[in-house]
Amino acid sequence: MKINVNGEERDLGAVDGGTPLLWVLRDQLNLTGTKYGCGRAQCGACTVHVNGEAVRSCSLAVRDAAGKQIVTIEAVSGRIADAVRAAWQRLDVAQCGYCQSGQIMTAIKLLASNRKPTDADIDAAMDGSICRCGAYIRIRKAIHQAARALA
Amino acid sequence: MRHLLLGICASAGGLVAAAGVAVVLLAGEAASQGGSARETSLAAWERIATVLQHPRCVNCHHPDAPLVGDASRPHMPRVVRGRDSKGAPGMRCNNCHGEHSNNEASNVPGAADWKLPPRTMMWAKMSIGDICRSIKNPARNGGRSLQGLLKHAIEDSLIQWAWEPGGKRESVPMPQTVFTDFFEEWVRTGAHCPN
Repeated sequence: MKINVNGEERDLGAVDGGTPLLWVLRDQLNLTGTKYGCGRAQCGACTVHVNGEAVRSCSLAVRDAAGKQIVTIEAVSGRIADAVRAAWQRLDVAQCGYCQSGQIMTAIKLLASNRKPTDADIDAAMDGSICRCGAYIRIRKAIHQAARALA
Repeated sequence: MRHLLLGICASAGGLVAAAGVAVVLLAGEAASQGGSARETSLAAWERIATVLQHPRCVNCHHPDAPLVGDASRPHMPRVVRGRDSKGAPGMRCNNCHGEHSNNEASNVPGAADWKLPPRTMMWAKMSIGDICRSIKNPARNGGRSLQGLLKHAIEDSLIQWAWEPGGKRESVPMPQTVFTDFFEEWVRTGAHCPN
């Protein structure tokens, strides 16, 4: 089976089609920026972009990812991604940092469809991304800051 | 009708199918023994309503956010309907719910086009009579005729999922063939709604 990750066709050999995309990314392709949190689509740590959607890679069978464009934290790019990264660094958002890959991938998708999110919009988008350090206030602030930079 | 149903019973051999058949036969008996078509229709509707009020159906027929599980708990993580009934920007239904019945690794259910039903189709906390009047009303049911409703019920990908939800989820309380028979009987006998 082959999948397209970060613009490259990657041959996965005889992988079981039911394997979660997350396992393939981390264990087979060594793209370890995407994290394993809960394995049940409850925490958001494994979020990657699949055909432009912020998908939980623990809950996507690799057979269903075949033929789609997968983008991970290692390669996500563009104006919005740059603005989010810059705001994250400026505000020093991460504490332990484990959830940040998923938080950033989700924040990018929020800003892609809503350039001027309110606090409520941010909460609705980020509710599926759990931060055990409780950095939610800085996450929200960083998204507002990225939105202002993009305006 | 009886031959058809007995055939289903024999071929399916399942207790659930048998129970459903028994009730249809009873409804039929009521009509043949002097019961009115209206009584038959209402008896059929009572059986249909057990499906519509099952958590597999009614969990999503809520205005702002779905419930989950056989115990109808709040959805975790919190989700909102959003403009197109498919979630908010950044938190879309299909971010977690795939296109197939049940994800074997995460146990997240899935079907093509996972979403909440339109706001006009809210049945939670309604009586079975009110649900009946609501689904018959074209202004609330997406402009469907009675036959259109049955077609929708057996062809829509999300409703299909309710019959095969996967994981440890309970499916709706009768096979689709039996549901179809009740529905057709309800329509044929006047599609009456309880008061």
